[in-house]
Amino acid sequence: MSSEQIIFYFFAAMVLISALLVVSIHNLVRSIFLFFVTLFSLAALYVFAFADFVAITQVVIYVGGVLVLMLFAFMLSNKELLSKINPVKGIIRVNHIVAILVCTLFLFILLNVIIKADFESLSWIKTADQINGKDNTVHQIGIQTMTRYLLPFEVLSVLLLMALIGAAHLARKEKKV
Amino acid sequence: MSFFLTYVLVATALFAFTAVFTLFALYSERKISAFIQDRLGPMEVGKYGSLQAFADILKMLQKEFIIPTAADKILFILAPTVIFVSVYLGFAALPWAPGLIPASLNLGIFYIFAILSVETLGILMAGWGSNNKYALLGSMRSVAQMVSYEIPAGIAIISVVMISQSLNLQEISIKQGILSPDTMKFLGLWDVKSIGGFLSWNIFQAPHLIIAYLIYFIASLAECNRAPFDIPEAESELVAGFHIEYSGLRFAFVFLAEYSMMFLVGMIGVVMFLGGWNSPLPNIGSVKLATLTTGLGWGIFWVLMKTLTVVAVQIWIRWTLPRLRVDQLMSLCWKVLTPLAFLCMLISGIWQLTVMQN
Repeated sequence: MSSEQIIFYFFAAMVLISALLVVSIHNLVRSIFLFFVTLFSLAALYVFAFADFVAITQVVIYVGGVLVLMLFAFMLSNKELLSKINPVKGIIRVNHIVAILVCTLFLFILLNVIIKADFESLSWIKTADQINGKDNTVHQIGIQTMTRYLLPFEVLSVLLLMALIGAAHLARKEKKV
Repeated sequence: MSFFLTYVLVATALFAFTAVFTLFALYSERKISAFIQDRLGPMEVGKYGSLQAFADILKMLQKEFIIPTAADKILFILAPTVIFVSVYLGFAALPWAPGLIPASLNLGIFYIFAILSVETLGILMAGWGSNNKYALLGSMRSVAQMVSYEIPAGIAIISVVMISQSLNLQEISIKQGILSPDTMKFLGLWDVKSIGGFLSWNIFQAPHLIIAYLIYFIASLAECNRAPFDIPEAESELVAGFHIEYSGLRFAFVFLAEYSMMFLVGMIGVVMFLGGWNSPLPNIGSVKLATLTTGLGWGIFWVLMKTLTVVAVQIWIRWTLPRLRVDQLMSLCWKVLTPLAFLCMLISGIWQLTVMQN
């Protein structure tokens, strides 16, 4: 195995193990911090796919934003509220059956998609340009966002604006009647 | 194999640099604060107390690691490492001289910003892991402050990126001196391509960047959790904030991270706004001062001098201004700095299209 492969498998193993631990660990705060390991290792895998911009954006948004938000939500929530969520010991329980069923089905769908898609013979992948590690991907991303993907980009920004206005409205003090 | 060896050597050199810098910054912080408060500062250890920082480090090394009984041990032990490593990783993309940069990333500045946001996580880890109300309050304040001040700092930096048309810190540096391949105009009027010096720094190429630099500088003070933005550590309210339970080497690591962060944000500001490793001396007629003072050794010298000046200003401000209240802090960030930063970004766009493209 080459050193790249060793590093790749190392990060892949990190993602899988930490993700499994995130869902199985009983300590909520520790599981959120473990989620950081998952996201960071995932960013490393993006770097391996030459998607350096995606990797860094992953760190900015998930680690700097979403994780901190989750921790804040956890730390600001009521202690008694949290103690009611008593995790049930053991994996197979009656109330787990639904979840297991949904997850298995979802896994089945994912596997089905991956097998049926046959990525290597897709026409747009065959004709796509190869990139190498030295290419300036931001340049391409900028041009593509402003030309080919302008409509989705604008729609997304309107969606985010709506979320922002909604949040501001919810946080505003009620008028005294 | 030598390929990997260079990486290890560079990483070790950067670590050694942060450690040495912290020692000197500790000493200078004490001396400057003493000067401002009309005291003498450390005088006992060595001549003029010059060995005080080494004595402190020796003391830290000998101290016991104390872990509170009720603490979350894993988080408590890991937190100082996470805090320091996230700051230390930022050093990887900083340019020191023409051709001398540990990792010349196309996304340099974006990478540094991303990796610095990991520090907030380390601070939350420390705050929660300590299981102490002061630590938790301090870390919450710290994170709230850092998350909010990242926005004006980020937008001020974007306004530079729009002028420089690159995220690569080395390219941004090159475009602010005589080595630049493009034409540069002082205040957008006077072509200074062959003159260089301070006239071609970003803040003079596009004068609205002076405001952007001020915004960035204020926001960077807040990101370092230094006075006047030190409510996370507020001694009179929270004893010491998130690192209250730490002792010995772990405390030293938190300290190391704080001082490395000061240097890092100072150096980002220098590279983005103040010309990076470019010489401040212009070519005057046949006296080629800029050409003479641009090179490997000179580059390191200039970047160090500029950054150390910025760090000195940070220390100066810490010991002169009183602490802001939480509401003042937030209204400064959201009502003053953020709109101003947006305005700078807008002007940058107009400047790029009208002045620089001609």
